Amino acid sequence: MSEAQLHFQYEDLEHQSDTALDGMWLFLAQEVLFFGALFFAWMLNRHFHPLGYHRAAQQTDLLIGSINTVLLITSSAVYAAGVGFIRLDDRRRLVQCCVITALLGLAFLGFKGLEWHEDLAKHMNPGRYFGLSGADAGGAQLFWVFYWVATVLHGVHMAVGIGLVAWLLHRVCKGAYSAAWHTPVEVVGLYWSFVDVVWLVLYPLIYLVGRAG
Amino acid sequence: MRRIVRGAALVWLALAALMAVELGGSLARLGPGFSGLLLLPAAIMVLLVGLCFMRVRESGGLARFFALAAIFWLTVLLGLGSIDPLTRHDYSVDVTQYP
Repeated sequence: MSEAQLHFQYEDLEHQSDTALDGMWLFLAQEVLFFGALFFAWMLNRHFHPLGYHRAAQQTDLLIGSINTVLLITSSAVYAAGVGFIRLDDRRRLVQCCVITALLGLAFLGFKGLEWHEDLAKHMNPGRYFGLSGADAGGAQLFWVFYWVATVLHGVHMAVGIGLVAWLLHRVCKGAYSAAWHTPVEVVGLYWSFVDVVWLVLYPLIYLVGRAG
Repeated sequence: MRRIVRGAALVWLALAALMAVELGGSLARLGPGFSGLLLLPAAIMVLLVGLCFMRVRESGGLARFFALAAIFWLTVLLGLGSIDPLTRHDYSVDVTQYP
């Protein structure tokens, strides 16, 4: 039985649902500006240190970055299918989609942890013992500052997303959602896809543009 | 059910194809003048996820307004923020030695 509980401040469930979705979109809009500042830092520093950025990008792990991109677009597709299933009242398939999405998210973080370990082994942590030297080392360090800040922030968002999907899974198994009331499923889906979108921008910035030229 | 799976699979295929394009462009080493073009497939991927997975078009008016506002302010941030550093010319000056 679904728990479509109407709170006192709303006229009806549709009003309640619209408010939740609008709230999530507003949150995501400010998240765009949060990550936008990082993208701006990448643009600016690459403009002033093109050679350092080019050299630093060669040190990134393209294979792991590409695998992680495939994992994330797959997870978004699976979760989007899950939203479609709950609209048809198919809770069993939504549960399956949530499990696959969470596992793909965990795999992403696992690969990311492996990549961070490799990066640290190569001394790609900016500072006194940075692994690159020479005239371009300053620009390369700025690239790696961007890399660490961006990937750690994205990783934190991923961990929050996995937690939300796990919470949702728990609620779905208790029969909390149905075709009539499934707004939390849609709200979590918006967040998950947004985290995917951020990675779709980070992937070329970190792994591709520097390699191309 | 088949319609849902087919829809998600088609979008996934489009995303994978665009990823292959940007990856191929990177490995082909197009050169510094073209490296920025690699962001074009990424922009289309973002658009696809927004339209197909986040269902912007099905959202209410306020949600669409927030989505457009995010794009607008991001454009302001990146565009106006870049004008000064990208158009400034640094003239070299002699370093003055103070006693």
